[in-house]
Order: sequence, then C-alpha cells, then structure tokens
Amino acid sequence: MSSDSDTSGRAERRDLAFDALADPVRREILAVLAEEDECSAGALAERITSVGRTAVSTHLRVLRVAGLVTERRAGRFRYYAVDPTGSAAEVMTLLQGLFQQSLHDVRATVENRPPASGRTDTDRTDGAAEAG
Amino acid sequence: MGTVAVSAEEFAAVPPEVVFDRFGGGTGAGWLFDAACDRIAVGAVVTLRVPLGGAGPVDVLGRISALRRPTSLTVSHDQPWRGRIRLRFTPAPGGTRIRLHAEIDERGLEWLMRRQGLPVRPGAAAGPRIGLLTSKSGPGSLFAAATENVATLALEEINGDGGVAGRPVELLVADDATDPATGAVEALRLVRSGCSTVFTMTTSATYDAVSAALGDSGALVVQSHMNEGGGESRLRIRLGERPARQLAAAATPLMRAAGGRRWFLAGNDYVWPREVNAAARAVLPAVGAELVGERYAPLGTEDFAPIVETIAASGADVVLNSFVGADSAAFERQCHAMGLRDRALSLGPALDEVTLERVGAPAATGIHGVSGYFQQLDTEGNGTLLQRYRATFGPWAPPLSTLTESVFEAIHMWAAAARRARTTDPGPVADAMRVGRYEFPRGTVTLDGTDLVQQQLYLAEARGTSFAALCPADVAG
Repeated sequence: MSSDSDTSGRAERRDLAFDALADPVRREILAVLAEEDECSAGALAERITSVGRTAVSTHLRVLRVAGLVTERRAGRFRYYAVDPTGSAAEVMTLLQGLFQQSLHDVRATVENRPPASGRTDTDRTDGAAEAG
Repeated sequence: MGTVAVSAEEFAAVPPEVVFDRFGGGTGAGWLFDAACDRIAVGAVVTLRVPLGGAGPVDVLGRISALRRPTSLTVSHDQPWRGRIRLRFTPAPGGTRIRLHAEIDERGLEWLMRRQGLPVRPGAAAGPRIGLLTSKSGPGSLFAAATENVATLALEEINGDGGVAGRPVELLVADDATDPATGAVEALRLVRSGCSTVFTMTTSATYDAVSAALGDSGALVVQSHMNEGGGESRLRIRLGERPARQLAAAATPLMRAAGGRRWFLAGNDYVWPREVNAAARAVLPAVGAELVGERYAPLGTEDFAPIVETIAASGADVVLNSFVGADSAAFERQCHAMGLRDRALSLGPALDEVTLERVGAPAATGIHGVSGYFQQLDTEGNGTLLQRYRATFGPWAPPLSTLTESVFEAIHMWAAAARRARTTDPGPVADAMRVGRYEFPRGTVTLDGTDLVQQQLYLAEARGTSFAALCPADVAG
C-alpha cells in the first residue's frame, strides 16, 4: 500500500500541474514550445501577444516549477523547452490517482454495503442496458 | 515499443470473494469496478468509463482476458490505448489486499498527454509520413477500435517490402474524439508534422470538417470506409460502400426474411445517416417498400426509449439503423429489451463486428449487415490478414470490420501509388490511387478514375456476436 507521504507528494505534484494548465496563457506558451525545439524568453514574449513580457516570465516560472518546461541559461539569455519527462510523469501520476481512487471507492462500497450474495456467471443483459 | 506500469493498492475489510464479485456488479463501486459487461467470463467485452476530467469521461474498451475467482481478474483493452489492467485479491488479516497493475505504452502516454493539454512533439522524420485520424474517444471509438492495429500492420508490410522511395514510411496517429472541430485541429497538426496524406477513419462529419480545414494545405485526404460521397476533388478521395448500393442489395432479401414491407429509418443526426435515409427514400419505394417513419438522435445519446416506442407503434417490419458506434449498440440493446426484436428485423449498414459484440448475443438476433467485407469472409487474402492480425495483436484484439479493414487496404493503395508515381507528392499519388485493380482481403477492388469503388457486396446475419451466413448481394448499381 502506498504510504501517506507518497500519496500526498503525488497529489501535490498533480495539483501543481493542474494549476499550471488551468491558465490559457500557459497553455498557449506550451503550444508554442511544442512547435519549437527551444525558445528564448524574448522570442516567446513576441509570440504571446495576449499579455506583457513580465507576465510571460511569471507564467514560465509556474510551468518550470510544475515540471512542464525546462530552462537553460546562456549569458543573459534564458531558453525554454518542453520537458517531455515532466509531461509523462504528470500523466502517470494522473493515472495512478484515478486507479487509486477507484480502489478506494470499491473499498468504501464493500465495507459499508456488502452485497447480499456472490454473483454467478449469469447473463445480465438487461441490467447492463439500464446502466448504459 | 516501451511500456510503463502504474500500480495501486488498497485494503478492504471483507473476504476476497466479496471484493471480486463487485466487479461489473453495478454502480457505486468506483469507475473500475462499475465496469459494464454482460458476463464475468474470459472473452467477455467490458467498458470502463474513466472520469478523466476535462472534456468528460472516456471509455476504456476491452475484454476480460484472464479470470480466477476470487484471486485475479485481467482486462485487456484497445481503446484509447492498448494495455492491460490486472487486479489481484489476496487474503490479508481481517480482509483482502487489492492490488492493481496497469500498463500503458508510448502511444497511450502520448494520447493522455494531448488530452490533458500537455505538449507532445513529434521526433525528426526518418522517411515519408502519413497521418491517421481516427476516433480513440467518444462514441466512435467503438467502430474505430481496430483502426490503429490494421494501419500498423499495413505499415509493417510496406516497410518490410522496402518502404517508399527506399525509406521507411512513418505513421502518425491522432484522435478526433468523435468531434468534427477536434478532428480539424488534429488533422492540421498531422499536416504540420509532415504528413502529406491523411487517412480518416472517423464519422463523415469529421471528414467534412477535415476536408474544409485542410483546404489550402496541399494535403491529400482519404476516407477509405463507407460514406455518402460528395465533395470529391483531386486531393479528396472517398472510397468505400455507398448507401444507395448497399440498400439496393439488401432491401429485397430483407423484406422476404421479415415477411413485411414497412421500413422505419432511424439514425444519428449528422450527414451520413441523413444521406443513408435520403438514399432509402429514393431506393426503397422502387422495390415495393413502404416508409413508415424517420427519427434522429444526436451522437452520444444513451436513452433510445422514445424512438423505440415510436418504431413499435409504427408497425415496422424492418428498422434501418444508421446509428453509429456506442449509440448503435445501445439502440439495438434497447430495441431488444423493449420487445421490438419479435416484430422487426434490423439492417445496420455500419453496424460492424465490434459494435455487434457490444450489442451482445441475446439482442443481436435479427440484425443484418450489408458491406464489402465481413471478418468471416473466406478469401485467401483475408485468411492471411487475420492470421497476421492475431499473431501481432493477440486473441483479445477487437474483430476487423469493413470499416477498419478498408484502412489497411487504403494505406496499401497509397504505397503502391507512391511507388508507381515515384513520389509522395499528394497530387500524383492521388491520381495513381484513383485507377487500378487491387486484390485485397475483401476480394477484387476496382477503381476507374472516379471515387466509386467496384466491389462485391455481401448481406450477412448476426449469429451470436458475429456475422455469419454471408450471401453475395446483387452487384448492380
């Protein structure tokens, strides 16, 4: 069983990435980065016209903390790129959370309302049709 | 291809039997245990509705591939990605330890990233690229389930045969989520990623949106499977069966089998069902049929009771079902549950083998199909295809159908055309594809420069959850 600290760490990371993706400007930045190998902060700010340079920098920091983009410094320039491992880790965490929640739900169900009897291999066409 | 694993674990204070028997047992036990399935048995089809958030839940389509009550249960699934979910139940002090182990491959990870709005970049191209736009989510993910598999097989054969222009052809896959607007955006992405040809195995509604969105892109768009036709041009190829011919071939034998001439037309509310029914109004009265009603429901409908009641009241002998995917399966199940089966036969031009499995054996009786391919078709080419398909994707992969098998053929046609034209430029490739005689798993397919494919059609009847009793239907028209 996952330890509590493990679970909360994952949940925290997931929340960070969810927050990072919730903003349309940050999604736009990611879309631009997805098409380029690497992009300087200045070039990015030119492509993102909906907000100013300072706001773009702030959004980039959020994306970096959430593990979705990487930052490279060369002299006084900063270059950004998509962090593919960050994205992969993000969806793995999402999946793990979904599976864990489902097992948690089955536990809650069986412990509170155990079914009257074990079901056998009978046909349940009509019941499944109702369930859609 | 690399596969990664996800694990989860839980304890429940009841014996393993109690936990095990919750699987597929109804609502309230979490999305995984709320699985929709008719039977808990190896081979039984299963739908898991995952609460992925964002654009709504996503159906994981698969089947039970291993089972040992009360110790273990495995679901092998094909949509939205290929993978396995293994559940193990072991006795522990005071209850049961539940352990889950799930696999996801690179394509699955990529699909999930895109759906979550995370950026995914295609790698550098090593050779010509072709795009496949298909439905991996939404109601269309049912009929499209085998698409990526057969496209992958076609690519393996083409590349095993030296590729095109001496280089391996690469397949990029995108999901339209059974939504035309999403399909248009994803098709543009495929073209921007270097695909000069895009194959669509989606609804015609998505095809139309893609055709318009790629208007000045210079890309070739090929719809390989059955469709209503229209809008063909040099760079827009629409192959596959057309409704008028399917109906002309099926109408008389269906009325003979039904012992009546009254038809009810029912389908999803978009271009293909509308055109199927327009063809029905043109074709059926000429062979003595009487049309007694026509109804539509939007894609994604789950409750068909009002339509089924209207059909029952109409006294129809034959229902022309032009619902698609999950909608079609739900419609047929509800027809059966409401007693319509005893009174009317069903003809589903696009009700394919995958959909039939979800209709289930009890509700499948009386369902007929008419198309140029059925998985049961006894040709040498089909025998070879099925053997390779099962060897590559295993016994639990979804059955092939005229919809998905057409993708296999179209990609082979594209490669043959590119080799003949000595280029992958869309124009010359399209010209070369349009003329030819091909020996395919469905038999001889002839193109004469128009988009009207000459092929043998078959009328088939459901036996259990597969189509049998294939009968060559009239080729005229």
